[in-house]
Amino acid sequence: MIAPGTEPGLWQTARALASRDLRLVWRRRGDALQPVLFALLVVVLFALALGRDPQVLAANAVAVLWLAVLLAGQLALDSLFRSDAEDGSLEQWLLAPVPLSWLVLVRVLMHWLTTALPLIVISPLLAEMLHLPHDQWPMLLASLLLGTPLLSLIGGMVAALTVGIRRSGILVALLSLPLYVPVLVFGAGSVAAAARGQDPLGALLMLAAGLVVALVLAPLATAAAIRISLS
Amino acid sequence: MSYLGYVVGAYAVFVGLLVVDAIGSRLRLRRALQVARQRQQRQDARRSAATGPLELER
Amino acid sequence: MQPIVRWFHQLGSPPTFDRFARRWSRLFLIASLPVLALGLWQALFVVPADYQQGDSFRILFVHVPSAWMSLFVFALMALYAAIALIWKIKICEVLAMACAPIGAGFTAVTLLTGSIWGRPMWGTWWDWDPRLTTELILLFLYFGVIGLYMAIEDRRNAARAAGLLAIVGVALLPVIRYSVDWWGSLHQGQTIRLFGPTTLDASMQLPLWLMVIGTKLWFVGSLLAKARADNLQREAGKDWVQRQLGGAP
Repeated sequence: MIAPGTEPGLWQTARALASRDLRLVWRRRGDALQPVLFALLVVVLFALALGRDPQVLAANAVAVLWLAVLLAGQLALDSLFRSDAEDGSLEQWLLAPVPLSWLVLVRVLMHWLTTALPLIVISPLLAEMLHLPHDQWPMLLASLLLGTPLLSLIGGMVAALTVGIRRSGILVALLSLPLYVPVLVFGAGSVAAAARGQDPLGALLMLAAGLVVALVLAPLATAAAIRISLS
Repeated sequence: MSYLGYVVGAYAVFVGLLVVDAIGSRLRLRRALQVARQRQQRQDARRSAATGPLELER
Repeated sequence: MQPIVRWFHQLGSPPTFDRFARRWSRLFLIASLPVLALGLWQALFVVPADYQQGDSFRILFVHVPSAWMSLFVFALMALYAAIALIWKIKICEVLAMACAPIGAGFTAVTLLTGSIWGRPMWGTWWDWDPRLTTELILLFLYFGVIGLYMAIEDRRNAARAAGLLAIVGVALLPVIRYSVDWWGSLHQGQTIRLFGPTTLDASMQLPLWLMVIGTKLWFVGSLLAKARADNLQREAGKDWVQRQLGGAP
């Protein structure tokens, strides 16, 4: 029982949840690298399908890279809430003294740190494999840095909606892909626009604005989805 | 260029949707009534079984 | 004001809604038929052919009303879902989920008629025209709502989860539309696709409005019919349904 007046505040619960998540990921660090492996596989498959010509690969590199990151992130969504839902920890969240959306925000942030950030770290390697010109790399990294948190936030809501469903598989993809479209369009499009000499700032600003809005609204929607899924 | 085929095709698609929609509504209603009827039958069966010889008597 | 509010409250009761829906779905569907028939006749035979596109522009009179319906139904579905989530009104859950297949149907018709219209115009059956692309994404959103509703066992939770998805979808739809428009304009150098007469002549407006009104009437009738069926299925064990089973549907 928590003695009145000593209830943990926002930062304490955030630290507790964050350290728990990091510890759990560290124990299964092999599993945690699976999104990276998947992205690498996607790039290899695309290269095999497109052919060896560096020009062709370079022309499609941005799209392939963005898709690899997006699809790898989607596979990782399953680990966002499922294990906690199965062992009952998610229901404990409903009883926590802090807002559910705060816990969701911390969880999504940790998930992004452990699944999307490694992808961004290896993106230069993948870009080199696809012969992406070096002058496009900064734009690519900027678009990924702004876009992947958005994908995690939106994906978190979809994961919460489907957490109670066994073998949801393709349903998660079907639900999240329409919601991912603006992120993909502005993310990959900004790099493509910059490559063609057009101004990418508008697209990047759209991503940034979307990220700010999503940081506030997505956890609220996700919390509502968790309540529905657990009821 | 004769557009007749395209126009007919497009209008056929539209009318086709209305027909499919109407049929769908009818099928839904029939299924709902079927489900209700089955439940009623099961309830009746349970009620008649409950008043049978398995009832404990003092 | 009071009798209206009371009437709404009464409609929330399943048996009252059943009686209401049974009567009014039939009336609305029957009312829509002459309107649609008149609209179709006007569109096909009365309106003169377009100067630029010949007779193929007549497809506009089924394509545009279907497109408007696909968007209108999605917004209405989200509205019903919001009311159901906030005030926990069961009948609004039913109405929201009944909207989905109808809206998906109109979206499919929009895509198909758009494709058929595009064939003589562009020479291909499909073009990544921003409007058509947004309609395609809208179709996936509909499929997502329907799929989620069917995947969850408990009907009430399923309706609420799918309803939440519809609300998020409707909030994101303008963003999706804007992003696809921007994406379409990225390749401005290519030929701009014409997709419909640029100005709508007065003679063209009557059949368009007839079709718009006719499809709306049809939608209300169809929605009430589907909602009635779902309502009956949910309440299958209750007394009022059992009593009704003796009579005709």
